[in-house]
Amino acid sequence: MATFVDRYPEEASVVKATLVVSFLSLGIGALFGLVQALHRTGYLRILDSVDYYTVLTGHGVLLALVFTIFFLMGLFTWAVVQSLERPLPDIRLSWAWVGLTTTGAVFAAVAILAGLVPSIDMSADVLYTFYAPLMGHPLFYIGLAMFIVGTWLAGADWFLAYRDWRGDNPDERIPLQTFMVLTTMLMWYLATLGVAVSTVFFLIPWSFGWVETVNPLLTRTLFWFFGHPVVYFWLMPAYMLWYTVLPKLAGGRLFSDPLARVVFVLFLLLSTPVGIHHQYLDPGIAEGFKFIAMTNTMFLLLPSLLTAFTVVASIEHGARQRGGEGYIKWLGALPWRDPAFTGMALAGAMFAAGGFSGMINAGMNINYLIHNTLWVPGHFHLTVGTAVALTMMAGSYWLVPQLTGKRLYSRPIGLLQVVLWFVGMVLMSNAMHRGGLAGIPRRTAEPQYQNFEFSTMLGSVEEIQAGIALGGTLLFVSAVLFLFNILLSSIEDPIENPVDDSLPAPLSGASGSPVVLDNLRLWTAIAVVLVILAYTLPLAGIVGDAGVWGDVPGVPVWVSGNLDAALAALPEVIA
Amino acid sequence: MRMTRAGLLVLVAFSIPVAIELRVLFGFFGVKLPLTASIVFEAVFLLLIAVFYNVSAEPKSATKN
Ligand code: HEM
Ligand SMILES: [Cu+2]
Repeated sequence: MATFVDRYPEEASVVKATLVVSFLSLGIGALFGLVQALHRTGYLRILDSVDYYTVLTGHGVLLALVFTIFFLMGLFTWAVVQSLERPLPDIRLSWAWVGLTTTGAVFAAVAILAGLVPSIDMSADVLYTFYAPLMGHPLFYIGLAMFIVGTWLAGADWFLAYRDWRGDNPDERIPLQTFMVLTTMLMWYLATLGVAVSTVFFLIPWSFGWVETVNPLLTRTLFWFFGHPVVYFWLMPAYMLWYTVLPKLAGGRLFSDPLARVVFVLFLLLSTPVGIHHQYLDPGIAEGFKFIAMTNTMFLLLPSLLTAFTVVASIEHGARQRGGEGYIKWLGALPWRDPAFTGMALAGAMFAAGGFSGMINAGMNINYLIHNTLWVPGHFHLTVGTAVALTMMAGSYWLVPQLTGKRLYSRPIGLLQVVLWFVGMVLMSNAMHRGGLAGIPRRTAEPQYQNFEFSTMLGSVEEIQAGIALGGTLLFVSAVLFLFNILLSSIEDPIENPVDDSLPAPLSGASGSPVVLDNLRLWTAIAVVLVILAYTLPLAGIVGDAGVWGDVPGVPVWVSGNLDAALAALPEVIA
Repeated sequence: MRMTRAGLLVLVAFSIPVAIELRVLFGFFGVKLPLTASIVFEAVFLLLIAVFYNVSAEPKSATKN
């Protein structure tokens, strides 16, 4: 009865299946990232610039939605099973959601990638935000909808496991990892209502041509209703690893279980009523609502600052257990040789930097300075692209051996990989932030204007481009090393104890945390009320202005077959 | 304090953002450093750290544990 796979072989297969999809997406997405980084800086152009949006859509969807969320589904399954210490209630349900989410992701990916093949009359170059009136092929939206419904079923699976456990343990506190899964999923159910309504009621019928027009501001607002909380959906698996695994890897224990619970409750409450902060520059939403969204956003800093405190305190405790001393010198006592530890620690450090640039984004006034510039990808490659992605890769070095019963192929390569990601991201993200301040736009293959020069505050545009190209290349190499290491690990011989998978109890345990924290119904009710307060009036205003169905026809992006239609629609859209 | 090879690697990685942002720091005080300043800073740092590592590292036979 050595490790996870020996105790729960069927659940281990489910987790492995989700990780395979996740890592495959990471590989393709990273390749696209390299293509973009080299293309838009002019270093290497293997594609026509017209195909840039196909690649960029693939990159955004495969990395930000598929890689992250499939990893989440695997991690949460592992977490629920091992913290409740019981198998999932019905493994057929588990395979059903794996199948549904995978099919959905494949549909969306096919619709996007077909854009690279001129002979197939299909494309969905609508970027991962799929703003109407850009219109993708229906298969894209259908895939998206299947994917979302699949995640709902996954959540149901975990809630059913919890219900069974509760039946046997009526008076116990919810185990911390399960608590994290359940609060995150409640947030997700609330948040995905927006995108589900948008795709099922508006975008799918419209892309099939069943309805003629769409209300772009309405679908955009529904997108961001989901689009902000989704960042916490990416982040919560990383937080789970930082809270429950990182302290152990550091040689210590979680500082405080109650504080961890407070943080997850705060995310459930505050993640959704802030989405309008992505729309500071959208006309049609009154400034007052934007101001409310900004205020809520600033409150959201609280749980992240609490996390910084708790996680660093836990790591310091670990270092001191290992004999670390002094104010700074204890850092030297940490297990830097362990790629799982080092990767998560570096990811956490970059998250701090991403948090600071996020505060700039969140401020209504200074947002105008950087809106839609390269600053924005600079910011989110620190957050989702590193805090989340690097934590997931580093976590895999510890998690995957538990799922396969095989040891990691190479720890030194793992260490090199995580450090390379850090260095590559420093170069790329720093250059993107600078470029954004100089006004270089995001989402364009050819950011040059005639008779115009970007004025940088420091250095030159050439330096910025070199930073992006070099950083992007290092990142790609890092992703390849990761995949290679995991792949070679999977053909090792099974051994008894491939990794120390025990998780020590927190220093301050669940018994010290107020019972009300476990009252999930209460927190959900408050979260719903906050969402109603934040969104009712803006949505009413938007629908009042242009109606539910809007008055804007689509601009199909599968241009090859619809060039004429697209051109014909254009004047109407502009008018 | 004995420095491990992994510790060294991480320290070198951390020096890179410091070297890059050095120019911003000086920029606050109106001093415009060229890119070469960052490169020289990094090179000097790497040299110092290499010396420190060789002085502080244990004899070869005892490095593995
Ligand atoms: C090999 C590593 C990576 C490289 C070289 C890379 C490169 C890039 C570049 C150059 C852009 C900007 C394109 C533009 O605005 O013109 C971009 C956009 C983006 N990246 Fe990455 N990236 C990498 C990894 C990641 C990861 C791990 C994630 C998320 C988990 C991610 C998510 C995104 C998203 C969401 C966009 C925006 C897409 C859009 O504007 O619609 N990237 N990436
Ligand atoms: Cu947001």
